[in-house]
Amino acid sequence: MPIWMEVFVLMLLAYAIGMGIGWAIWGRAS
Amino acid sequence: MKFLRRPSIAIASGAFAVFLLARFVAGASAPDFAARLTAQAPAVITQAGGGNRVRAIFLSPRGLPSRHPLLVGGEPLDEPTRAEIATAVASIPGVGGIRWSDGDMMAIGGEPVFRPLHCQEDVQALLRARTIRFEESSSRMDIGSNELVDEVAAALRPCLGAIIQITGHTDNSGPEPGNIALSTERARAVRAALIERGIPADGLRTRGVGSQRPVDGLDPADPANRRIEFSVIATEPIRPTPVDTPAPR
Repeated sequence: MPIWMEVFVLMLLAYAIGMGIGWAIWGRAS
Repeated sequence: MKFLRRPSIAIASGAFAVFLLARFVAGASAPDFAARLTAQAPAVITQAGGGNRVRAIFLSPRGLPSRHPLLVGGEPLDEPTRAEIATAVASIPGVGGIRWSDGDMMAIGGEPVFRPLHCQEDVQALLRARTIRFEESSSRMDIGSNELVDEVAAALRPCLGAIIQITGHTDNSGPEPGNIALSTERARAVRAALIERGIPADGLRTRGVGSQRPVDGLDPADPANRRIEFSVIATEPIRPTPVDTPAPR
């Protein structure tokens, strides 16, 4: 697997986790 | 930016932005990173007993920088040395999983016993005059080769029950990891074609060695090195390797 793909997978994971946290904190209220 | 109000579109464009950012970050730093690993590898390999025969190539099959090295040139070494080299290379900080160019997930136990049967000679006689052709840098077989594959399948029929190895070779143009992938794909394509013609799948083994084994007396760059070889082995000399060995082959 080329390096850019590993970077992409990790960053996508971080993005998904960030979205999840954001939704848990602010998303449910409104 | 009204379209971003729709959550699905907002999430998808965020993911696309992540993709662009990853390409940009990796494009800027990956070549240097891979070059650093490539520079560190030879000293480590020499120390582990690989001499300067074994090389570590930090490229993905499509030639992009990768942290998963392909180890080339370890064919004459014994298993413990290969394991030691693989462990040593894996211990360089930043290196990921290791592959050997001649490797699959099996270890060869002891001296394999090869006993060529007659049908190997029949097949080789067929392939001496004609070769199975492929479309350029593709594993799709040329239509004209169908007839030859028919004849090869017929010649292999007396050997049913034996293990038949199909080996793919390329010339040395292009990056070696790509050559190995291509030769493996081509060997697999031939295997699939033989299965289609009624040769049982469990007796067919495939393998791609890239440009590592040119035809005797030929320059490695000669296109005549692109070929498929069949060898019939009477016994199955393959034994699974213990789990957790860092040197799969």
